[in-house]
Amino acid sequence: MTKLSVTINGRAYGPRDVRDELSMNDFLREYLGMTGTKFGCGAAQCLSCAVIVDNPDGTSYTSPTCVVPAASFDGKSIRTVESHAKNGELSVLQKAFITHFAFQCGYCTAGFLNEGQVLLERLAKKPVARADLDKTIAEALDGHLCRCTGYIKYHEAVRHVILADPGRYLS
Amino acid sequence: MRFDLRVQLFVAVLVLPASVLAAYAVSDSPPERLASVESFSSINDTAARSAAIFTELGKVLTHPRCLNCHPAGNRPRQGDVSRLHQPPVERGADGFGLPALRCPICHQSANFDPAGVPGNPIWHLAPREMAWEGKTLGEICAQIKDPARNGNRSVDALVEHIGEDHLVGWAWAPGYGRRPAPGTQKEAGALVEAWVKTGAVCPN
Repeated sequence: MTKLSVTINGRAYGPRDVRDELSMNDFLREYLGMTGTKFGCGAAQCLSCAVIVDNPDGTSYTSPTCVVPAASFDGKSIRTVESHAKNGELSVLQKAFITHFAFQCGYCTAGFLNEGQVLLERLAKKPVARADLDKTIAEALDGHLCRCTGYIKYHEAVRHVILADPGRYLS
Repeated sequence: MRFDLRVQLFVAVLVLPASVLAAYAVSDSPPERLASVESFSSINDTAARSAAIFTELGKVLTHPRCLNCHPAGNRPRQGDVSRLHQPPVERGADGFGLPALRCPICHQSANFDPAGVPGNPIWHLAPREMAWEGKTLGEICAQIKDPARNGNRSVDALVEHIGEDHLVGWAWAPGYGRRPAPGTQKEAGALVEAWVKTGAVCPN
């Protein structure tokens, strides 16, 4: 057993004992009932289980949760898909996903939302040239697997958000 | 022919196959074990002994636990069959993966057996110049001795690297579903030390 203290969507959880073999995915879904984060492949391939990890320096990255022990998140601050909407208001990215019909079954969507959000926050700090935008989006979303959509509308939704606010995201 | 010359010739004829047989017997240890340094003492020729010791060490260097992270290309390999790593991760600029999926994101500081994911605090690929994939043992030996291709290490520093480095040591405690490297890290370190002391000769 290991003591786990973790901040999830701004709320502190723990310290609580967790089994060493407990995955973060199981901790979120089974212990906390936060089922927005999905379990897809169980092998860190599809990234439907990815959450956002916030570094103390203000940067963020996404991490699979299916192959990573919950204990390794001790002391960390993470955001799940449940963090995007505020007071019932969908985020700009969520709205774009809807208007662009980016998802179908929705199983991979949490991962794409988290990855897209990390990209937006990164570009807000370090904008890219318009000419590099499509490549930047493709590289950011690379690795997230989707069986339904063919990916194009996910890319279009993310591009739409960026192009709607070029002063913020583009150099 | 004089008697003493015939005796010398007789002894030489006896010793030569005996040393060959001794070398065979020494390297005949099971694949999962490493022969001891002492077992090579029957090889009288120092250079031959040195090469034989490195050949034994080669069981470690060419084992999947080591070879999988010393790839020639941009992708690590995994498993005892050394298949290409899934998910399809890449080396990245620093050997720690591409920005979107760094090695330590999945590979934590220790093995996580429930998911079958090995771990170490500094999980990463060996630099490209230290690639062993597709090379003969002689080529690996030459590379491992070359400071330009071994991280600027002297042969003496190799003793510590192979015998004590924590990431190298993972090979002997790789977690569920993976065969450990042959012998122990201590035995491998002893072989490296003996190889260095006998002149660090490479096998052909």
